[in-house]
Amino acid sequence: MRGPARIAVGYDGSRGSEAALRWAAALAGSLGAELRVVHAVGLLEHAGLASLSVHEGRAREVAADEGMEPNRVEWCVLEGDPGSVLRRIAEGPDPVELLVVGTRRSSVHPGLLGSVSLGLVACAPVPVVVVPPTHRGR
Amino acid sequence: MLILAGPVGETEHDGGAHPERPARITAALDGVADLHLGSDLVTVAARPAARDDLLRVHDAEYLDELESFSRRGGGALDPDTYVTDSSWDAAVRAAGAGLVAIDALESSGEGTAFVVVRPPGHHAQRDRGMGFCLLNNVAVAAAALVAKRARVLVVDWDVHHGNGTQEIFWDEPHVLYVSTHQWPLYPGTGRPEEVGGLDAIGATLNVPVPPGATGDVLLRAMDDVVAPAVEEFQPDWVLVSCGFDAHRADPLAELVLTSGDFAALARRAAAFARSPGRLVLFLEGGYDLQALRISTAATLGALVGGFPAPEPPTSGGPGAEAVRSAALDRRRAVEELSDRLFALDSLDAPVTDRPRRGLGGAQ
Ligand SMILES: [Zn+2]
Repeated sequence: MRGPARIAVGYDGSRGSEAALRWAAALAGSLGAELRVVHAVGLLEHAGLASLSVHEGRAREVAADEGMEPNRVEWCVLEGDPGSVLRRIAEGPDPVELLVVGTRRSSVHPGLLGSVSLGLVACAPVPVVVVPPTHRGR
Repeated sequence: MLILAGPVGETEHDGGAHPERPARITAALDGVADLHLGSDLVTVAARPAARDDLLRVHDAEYLDELESFSRRGGGALDPDTYVTDSSWDAAVRAAGAGLVAIDALESSGEGTAFVVVRPPGHHAQRDRGMGFCLLNNVAVAAAALVAKRARVLVVDWDVHHGNGTQEIFWDEPHVLYVSTHQWPLYPGTGRPEEVGGLDAIGATLNVPVPPGATGDVLLRAMDDVVAPAVEEFQPDWVLVSCGFDAHRADPLAELVLTSGDFAALARRAAAFARSPGRLVLFLEGGYDLQALRISTAATLGALVGGFPAPEPPTSGGPGAEAVRSAALDRRRAVEELSDRLFALDSLDAPVTDRPRRGLGGAQ
């Protein structure tokens, strides 16, 4: 079986999502796959009220660091919750074949904070990889 | 007569510099006071929803986690949503206020109820709070009515799609969930093709409209797409997820409605109720305090009579085409799902007891 030709990874600037991006970029690089870095815009960010550290430049830097060619990396910004946005990317026209997400899962409230990835695993139409926040790439 | 249930959240569940803030409740109450209803205003205090009431729409594990998270001081659920040490108690009372409103309407047999609570509810899913919402207030009320064998229409004109309410009633044929919302926008669900699960084909109805859409576009959605489905569904109760964040002054979205448009929408919702005393409005979003106040007054004024909206209704914005194509996409999705159900039945798969429904033109 051949590997996926198109991979999407959720990215919100957090440490957990950067770990996921590293893992996804390393895989995409080794497979020669295309990588879509997907940022979901929430309620506050839409209104310019959020203080997030999401930068296309940083995402591209991490992907390059993991050996990806710049022209194989696509930066996607979509309005919505990360779960619904990634699901849409896997269902829509020109769908990806693998979803990669990090987790905000904390030891204090594992269920509550990990449920974006859990929800995706439950209902995504393609395989989902959940990367632990401690993963540091190569 | 207006029954005001609540208020909840006028001081508690305070996240500091966050648009979903306690002053919203004060603004809504000011809007009610502007109507000078005198003895036509009856206020009933909220009581906490019972655990069994919450369990109809939320998982036990989520309820336990949310409660303990709040009791330990809380924190951020996601980049949008906060929990404080008072959030659990506020959320449980907010969820209970709708039940109190229903009780009050059942004993009076007339009037309209307005549930003035926060945190709002329509983004809250079975196992997850999100989008400023912790517990799904309107869903708790709708599920309680369904448990009493009622058919419930939920009209959600908040500018955001009520993904939580949709998810909770996805396979529930006794709830018709209707939403108009801006697209694209958070939470990224609510496409017209989302029409409900195999057990409730057509019982979810979504009409997304583009930024800049005016009140006439939403009225067209109500008249052309929603009204025929409601006519077929024959609801016993009408619950409204009454957000005012589609107002032109709202900082969170780009629809350009006025308070006059909300008054017109409220008249449509009232017309969907088949008997008096069966309409309950739940405060959802609405983040510009002045817009929230005048929209509250205009909406309730249209229902109790005698209060002209302070702003004229709007028209001429984009979205007529979006409404037309939503109707078509919905019809297509309903037909596809009905075909799939028919195919499953022919295979004698274990779905033979399923209700045959086909809202939206499958017949
Ligand atoms: Zn809203």
